Formats: sequence, C-alpha cells, structure tokens
Amino acid sequence: MTTEPPIHFEAASTIAVVVSSNEPLLFLSEDQRVIAASSSFCRAFEINPATIPGRRLSDLGGGEWAMPTLASLLKATASGVAQIDAYEIDLLRPNRPARRLVINARTLDDGDKERVRLLLAVTDVTDMRAEARLKDDLVRDKAILMQEVQHRVANSLQIIASVLMQSARRVQSEEARGHLQNAHHRVMSIAAVQKQLSTSTVGKVELRTYFTQLCESLGASMIADADRLSIAVTVDDSAVDPDVSISLGLIVTELVINALKHAFPDQSKGRIEIDYRSADGDWTLSVSDNGIGLPTGSDAPKAGLGTGIVEALARNLRGTIEVSDAGPGATVTIRHRAAADADATLPAAE
Amino acid sequence: MFNGKAVVLVVDDSAIIRLSAVDLIESAGYLALEAGCADDAIQILESRTDIDLVFTDVQMPGTMDGIKLCHYIRKRWPPLKLIVASGEAIIEESNLPDGSRFFAKPYNDNAIADAIGRMLSSGTA
Repeated sequence: MTTEPPIHFEAASTIAVVVSSNEPLLFLSEDQRVIAASSSFCRAFEINPATIPGRRLSDLGGGEWAMPTLASLLKATASGVAQIDAYEIDLLRPNRPARRLVINARTLDDGDKERVRLLLAVTDVTDMRAEARLKDDLVRDKAILMQEVQHRVANSLQIIASVLMQSARRVQSEEARGHLQNAHHRVMSIAAVQKQLSTSTVGKVELRTYFTQLCESLGASMIADADRLSIAVTVDDSAVDPDVSISLGLIVTELVINALKHAFPDQSKGRIEIDYRSADGDWTLSVSDNGIGLPTGSDAPKAGLGTGIVEALARNLRGTIEVSDAGPGATVTIRHRAAADADATLPAAE
Repeated sequence: MFNGKAVVLVVDDSAIIRLSAVDLIESAGYLALEAGCADDAIQILESRTDIDLVFTDVQMPGTMDGIKLCHYIRKRWPPLKLIVASGEAIIEESNLPDGSRFFAKPYNDNAIADAIGRMLSSGTA
C-alpha cells in the first residue's frame, strides 16, 4: 500500500435509504468494500451489522460472499461494461443447505461521476422455488390421479355395459332383452359424458359433440338398416355442466329409443331429429320424428320407465314438456325459461 | 373365404371384461381365444397360425402394454388385424400400426362386432 485511499463521505440520506431497504441491499465502493448494508440483508444472511462498514464483500460473515463470478460481474458493472440483471448464484455456507440467490447490481447514479459506487440487491428465492416446485409436483400428481380415476371409471362402466349386453344376448324373453338393451343405452349415454369430460380441460360438456356421439351409438345398436332410419342432430355451440349434460343426454336417449321403437312400425323410411338451442339462459330441446304420430285412446301404451325418466329429469332441469303432433310424426319439446326459473310461482309462458 | 370360423384373440387383464368380450365375439360368429396380458397373448400367437385378429386392452400388467403389443404383432405377424380399446379416451389411431382401430372404453358391443366384420372382410386372407 503506497497511498492511502482518499476519504469520502456519503450523503446521510443515501445511507439511510440503503439501511432501511426492505429488499436485502448492499451499497459498495468500486473496490467492492461495503459502505452500507440494509438491515434486511444482515437479518437474511445472519451478519452482524456492526462488523460491516468498510469491510470487503469477500470478507463478510465467514467469507461465503467471496464468489469469484460475483466479484467479476461487479467489476464489469463498475467499469460500465455490463449490468447484472437477475443473475442466479448459490450462496454456500458450511453446515447449511445452499441458498439460491437472484442478484441485481447497477452503479449508483447520483451525479458524482468521479466516484463509482454499486448497489447490489440480493433476493433469496430458495423457498419460493421450492414452493413452485412443490406446486408443479402437486399439479402433476393431480393430473396423474385424475387420469387414473378416469381410467377406472371407464373400466367400471365397461364392465357394467358388457355384462348388460351379455345378459341381453343370453336372455330368452324378447321383452326382457328390450329392457336390458335399454339399460345398456342408459349406461352408454352417461359414459359418453365421461368420455367427453376426460378430454375436456374446462369441465364443460359440448352438447353438439355429445349428442352426435350419443345418437351414433344409439343408431349403431338399434338401427339395422341405416338407409331406412336416420338420426340427425342440430345443436348450437352450447357447453353445459356435466350434471346438466347427463340429464339432457338421458332425455335424448329415452326419446330416441322410444321413437325408434314405436314411430316407424312399417314405414319404408324414417327420420329422427334432435334440436337444441339456447340463448340468455333459456334453452329448448326437441326430439321429433316423421313416423306414425302419437297413439291415442286404447292404442296409447301405458307410460313406461322411459316416460318416467324424461319427466323426472325435465322437472329437475326446471323444464316444461310439450308433446305435439308434428304431422307427420310427433315432437317432444322440453323448454327451460330462465325468467320462469327466477319466479317459480309464475306458470311458464307459452 | 375362410376355412371355418375366423379366430379372434381377446387380450384384457380384467377377467369379467374378457368374459363378455369372448361372448360378444362368439355371438358374432367367430372363434374366440383369450389372454390376460401381452406375454400370454404372444405365447398363444406363437403356438398357432389360425388367428386373424387381436382385440386388446391397453393398460395391462406384464412387459408390454396393448400399444406395444400391437406394434410387436405388426412386426412379427404383419397380416393380423388389430383393434385396441382403452379407458383412456385420448389415444390416437395414428399411434397404432396402420389400419388398426381404436375404441374408447366403454365400447359399444355392436360397434366392435361391426369393426371386426369389416376388418376381416377387407382382408386378403
């Protein structure tokens, strides 16, 4: 040491700002001596504030801040060549787990061009990173669990569907076979929702895809001659909650089964149309056919399980059922009015 | 076209689903064989030469899942037709050997019977 460095005094306000900084902060001279350190820095890195002023950065604490890369980055910053932006580095101390630090440094711009001083902000992101990692793990675990659950549900539904179909193939009575096949259709109708949900990210069921799948599946198992009977699906862009879609799907299933069974006893051609549209909370679902129309008088069959299911589900969805002659054929319309829903005592307007 | 009935090998680790699948295939007029995992399936395939189509699940215990089994079969026994069913609805037919069909579980028995019928009649066996 040939010359004593000249003594400089920093403005008290600058020192006070540094000391009271909420973010761990060091105020350094060009040769990387500490002019001031924030209380938050001393607290976070367990350094006695009294030992700090005038000490080299590399001598702080037990020497853990003597990091060659940090020193060279600070040197580059001081010379104006570079600026340290969110540089990540590990703070290593004996007998302690490493801490991951994010470092920002720049020169202090207070108009004094003669003297370079550095502001070094140090953020300990170890806990934050660990939390983020934990969250990622949880999200991944949840996705795996969901997949596992969906897989199990699908397999369980397969067992139910397979056993119902196997029973339907084995049973002697035509009536019993019909009942078993209907039970199978109902299971498949609910399964189609499950399938849609497993590929959906928003938890809503798109009705067009769902009804189309549903009717394809019903057609595949109930229509022997696709040139004779057809099912057409017209649905707007509605997507609804899974519970609602299950109810709507079961209603469609019952009405389509009913039409396929009764509407076209001898017709050479027949068509069933499903239509769903919604606006402002109101919706209308209709299933119509161009068959023989509604049976009347003594021809009218006793209301079966299917009718009971449709009525119960429509009530549950707060909808009204209207059955009309479509000339030719029949139309069943379920209407839901949001306004009627708001004031349930008023009868639904026609 | 065939010498007797076409033969379909059902591979699924669930005994009850396998039982129903065998019933479905026999009702459709084919001869059904069954295996509970890919390794058993390969043993059966090695032991006879009359199998026309393999109908397999995806998730199964053992050295291979259904998808790997399909690729293995295509390599060793190229003419065999393949149908895959799984509880995972997201499997693409493009992940399977060319010409394979995929069905999400629960599958519709009629759709499977249709697919088998179509695949076997389009074959050059």
